Amino acid sequence: MAEVILKNLTKRWGDFVGVDNQSLDIHDKEFLVLLGPSGCGKTTTMRMIAGLEEPTSGEIWIGERKVNDDLPKDRDVAMVFQNYGLYPHMTIFDNIAYPLKVRGTPKADIRPRVERAAEQVELTQFLGRKPKALSGGQRQRVALARAIVRTPKVFLMDEPLSNLDAKLRVTMRAELKHLSRELKVTTVYVTHDQIEAMTLADRVAVMKHGVIQQLGTPDEIYNDPANLFVAGFIGSPAMNLVRGSVKDGHFITVDGVRLSTIASEDRNEVILGVRADDINVHEAGAGDIDTPIYAFENTGEASFLTVVWGDQRVIARGDRHLRKEQDDVVGLTLNPDHLYLFDPATERRIHL
Amino acid sequence: MRDNTLKYVLVLPAVMVVFATAIWPLMESARLSATVGRLNRPGSLDQYIGLENYTWAFFEEPAFWNSVWVTGIYTILTVGLTTIFALGLALLLAPGGRLRSGVQTLLILPFAMSPALIGVSFRFMFNPEFGLFDAFFGAVMPPLADVSWLADPTLAFAVCVMADVWGWIPFLTLVLIGGLASIPQDTIEAAQVDGASGWRVFKDVTLPQLAPVLAVVIILKSIFSLKTFDQIFMLTNGGPGTATQTLSHYIYFNGMKYGQIGYAASVAWLMVIPMILLTYLYARFVFRKD
Repeated sequence: MAEVILKNLTKRWGDFVGVDNQSLDIHDKEFLVLLGPSGCGKTTTMRMIAGLEEPTSGEIWIGERKVNDDLPKDRDVAMVFQNYGLYPHMTIFDNIAYPLKVRGTPKADIRPRVERAAEQVELTQFLGRKPKALSGGQRQRVALARAIVRTPKVFLMDEPLSNLDAKLRVTMRAELKHLSRELKVTTVYVTHDQIEAMTLADRVAVMKHGVIQQLGTPDEIYNDPANLFVAGFIGSPAMNLVRGSVKDGHFITVDGVRLSTIASEDRNEVILGVRADDINVHEAGAGDIDTPIYAFENTGEASFLTVVWGDQRVIARGDRHLRKEQDDVVGLTLNPDHLYLFDPATERRIHL
Repeated sequence: MRDNTLKYVLVLPAVMVVFATAIWPLMESARLSATVGRLNRPGSLDQYIGLENYTWAFFEEPAFWNSVWVTGIYTILTVGLTTIFALGLALLLAPGGRLRSGVQTLLILPFAMSPALIGVSFRFMFNPEFGLFDAFFGAVMPPLADVSWLADPTLAFAVCVMADVWGWIPFLTLVLIGGLASIPQDTIEAAQVDGASGWRVFKDVTLPQLAPVLAVVIILKSIFSLKTFDQIFMLTNGGPGTATQTLSHYIYFNGMKYGQIGYAASVAWLMVIPMILLTYLYARFVFRKD
């Protein structure tokens, strides 16, 4: 049980900055997700916590101890790797038992602990097999069992679900969540999948170019994005971002479409952010703006309408029973309580 | 012509070449091994004596057993030393190791030299008058100052082993670098995080995953060591006395120098036995299915 503190952590390779002067307090027992596109420095940050990568500058604290100069083996962390990192020449039992063995756990203690860990991830009947004989999902569980077989100060998980197929990922996600709430150990979890971040995290740190863009609860980063990047990265479909201006309490797109009332003073160049969920779809004439449909998509659980204003596309989410055709005209209304304005120059949010 | 017939016709030339250069000489040497087989005695190449050549080697010829002994020790030492040095170098040179790039290129140099040339240059360097190594060892270890290396049975043997190890390290290193590079990095990192020290990571994770490559390397090198000839021929010519006479050298001497081609053929066939065993092991490791 420990908190993890990063102080002005930087990692550079020559001119390339992987992680840029990053400070972060991860609370005791917290599940923190580092979220961002590939190359944003999230994995590098985690690898520095594990000790697999040496920081160029800055400090890493785990609990009461500065661990910069500690080898990975002395940091008391457990890590789940993206490709699982299982030992191919060992049985599943030996794989899970390895952290206990190298740390000198008495032989009599090893078997019950391995069996308990295997039970927690439902692997009991595979203990005698080699990793090769298991499916991807099962290997994933072995990696997980190897991490939870002892109680480390911190769990580190590097995109543990990204090699699984879509269906299995959803199942494993729920299991991970259940397990993490049961174990109550500080966890750092790296992913580029915003759904994973939203569902698993106590707090999410959204990263880009080695810098944390926003740190907050899933609710905060979804409902209160700090800048354009976070707004566009979180949510599926991505938040609609429309260039335009504000005049007399109305947002007008660059192509002169008058979209919605908005509680803002006049502004020349702004970007309006609105989620597909916050655009209500009506019959033609019943909404604020009548517009033809560019494309209509039915996913079964919802319907998505793409409309085009000038060169800007906007996606609205309709009822799952809605049936329209291309070029049909519909009326759209933007929910004025959930509109965001961003400054196109600084990309920062303009608070209304 | 039907495809079925055509395929045999197309393969025929290759089969004939193999037959003429490998199969027929092999059969002929097997036949010779059962004859008196003296090059200087007309008709003796067709004078059959059964297994007498073999029993002669086994029971009447201490020189045969001497060369078996020399070859055995030579093989064990060269295989062991070359593998250990090559593994150490490979660990330093592999991706993530401490040395890289330029050194790797430099490393291949000894392998570019022909074994005969290695023999000549080592003989030169251990020359008691103006040899480089001779002077070097004399300076570092004064008791060795006035030693004539190649005239002393033990030291001459040591020089042979040294030359062989030096010549073979590069090839083995390259193969092992390849083997190390194919070990998934995350298994090594997982072991580090799991709490293993550097040595334990090597012993528990790196070495077991390198084992198949290591086995191939050891078997290959054993085959090469067993049949060593050219280097020894140039370096010591089997001497002093028979202190460095390997089996191949013994066969060459009996067959070519003394003209006992029948006897030489029988010893050559005796050498085939461990070779077949090693080749079988090699094939098993290389073509094994996971």
